[in-house]
Amino acid sequence: MIGYVPGASALHRAHPYTTLAAAAALLMGAFAMTGPLEVWVLVAAAAVFAAVGGVLRASARTALLLSLPVWVLLFVLHGLLGPDPRVAVGPVVLSAPGLARALVLGGRLAAIVLGFLTALAAVSPHRLVEAMTADGAPFGRAFLLASTLTVLPRMRERAARILEAQQCRGLRLRGSPLSRLKALVPLALPLVLGALAEVDEQVLALDARGAASGARRTALEPPRDSTWQRALRWTLLLFVVAAYAWKFWRLRR
Amino acid sequence: MTTLVTLERVSFGYPGAARPALTEVSLEVRPREVLLVTGPAGAGTSTLLLVATGFAPRVVGGTLGGVRRLAARRCGVVFARPWTQLTGLCSTVRDEVAFGPASLGLPRAAVLAAAARALEQLRVAHLADRDPSQLSGGELQRVVVAAALALEPDVLALDDPAAELDPEAADALYDALPSFAAGGTAVLLATPDLQRAARVATRVIGVADGRVVADGRPAEVLTGTDVALLARAADCPPPFPVDVSALLGRIAPDASRRGHDPSDAPPAGSGPDPGATAR
Repeated sequence: MIGYVPGASALHRAHPYTTLAAAAALLMGAFAMTGPLEVWVLVAAAAVFAAVGGVLRASARTALLLSLPVWVLLFVLHGLLGPDPRVAVGPVVLSAPGLARALVLGGRLAAIVLGFLTALAAVSPHRLVEAMTADGAPFGRAFLLASTLTVLPRMRERAARILEAQQCRGLRLRGSPLSRLKALVPLALPLVLGALAEVDEQVLALDARGAASGARRTALEPPRDSTWQRALRWTLLLFVVAAYAWKFWRLRR
Repeated sequence: MTTLVTLERVSFGYPGAARPALTEVSLEVRPREVLLVTGPAGAGTSTLLLVATGFAPRVVGGTLGGVRRLAARRCGVVFARPWTQLTGLCSTVRDEVAFGPASLGLPRAAVLAAAARALEQLRVAHLADRDPSQLSGGELQRVVVAAALALEPDVLALDDPAAELDPEAADALYDALPSFAAGGTAVLLATPDLQRAARVATRVIGVADGRVVADGRPAEVLTGTDVALLARAADCPPPFPVDVSALLGRIAPDASRRGHDPSDAPPAGSGPDPGATAR
């Protein structure tokens, strides 16, 4: 699952800035945390964030799929090649500092991916544009941000359509890894060329509909903001600042 | 009458193209006309629409030569593929149609009123609360036309707008064009569907190899439609009718007045193949 999932959870109902601020705090916080325990507490916070958005299962599965290859690589590299002292993990002897390092890096990755996927699932691009429009942001900036949120699902839909069409012409998707890799070629070219051709028409259509008029857009249904949500966003900012202050204070000691 | 678009010996070439897509085109577009631009594939009909509405070279790039005067305040454009014309940012059809007026910074009530009018005009008001990405191609194309109309454009360019529509929806769209024009909009229509376009066009421009090769009333220019050929073969005196209702009006005025009343249709299987005349 990558992309917006309609829903009525607290995150869906929250002002888009609040959800994005929480995801940004997870990202920034992940780099501020230096110990394995702190990082995995942050991973737990990211899981709670996803649960509040009602997308824990789907987000966690996708995050696991995306993170697992990197986790394996991290544990092999740091665990086997890390410095002494070493600890025995079953029949294998691994570097203790290396393992700790792998846990930190793997945890950061998990927290960031989980937070990003949750924000992607819970922030409606439409509501985000409306919120930015109400704040007087130029349409180009709002469109750029919202397009970033929608680009992956759109590419996935397009890829699925192309794959179906290619399968109808006899493309085989099963078999050895090599034959699967070969199947990427007839997918990639139409995917890229088709996207470029459609972008041309979309630019024209948006321009024809006044996107570049320069006038301040009218927000039709700006999402409701509230004092407590603004307070929460400030609190998240303070958390990030405090986390970095703590990190640098510890580094100087 | 005010001229909305004036092209005088206009040439246009796309970036990097070896030869121009349009060569020395002269044309005037006036309010309330439905102008059919027709020609073989690659003749430059779509390019002529983009140049006449000011989108080329401003948006698509390229080089423009000659004189172009654009008196139209706003121009709308609709392409054949509706899914490329969605903003991708709107969760309902109403918001999608309201996007244009909202972009102009009109007051909220005016934006919603313009969207409601356009939805009614295209008979898609019942889809207002639907998600645009869940609509069929035909429904979506009508929504896209409504979105263009919501801007109340002086010139509306339609590039093969019925390519994704079923025959009934295509008929409905073409039949609505005169009502758009009656509101003061000039409709520029590029399509290979001459049978339908001939019904509604008030003027026809023939384009070949980037040049305007004909400009006149449908009966003068569209001499190659199936109906015109049939009328010619039947020794009808010129100007030849270009569509079925015009032909009926000529040879059987009573039948023409009855229009397409389904009760006139023969029982299924009793007549010839209905597609036979189209071939």
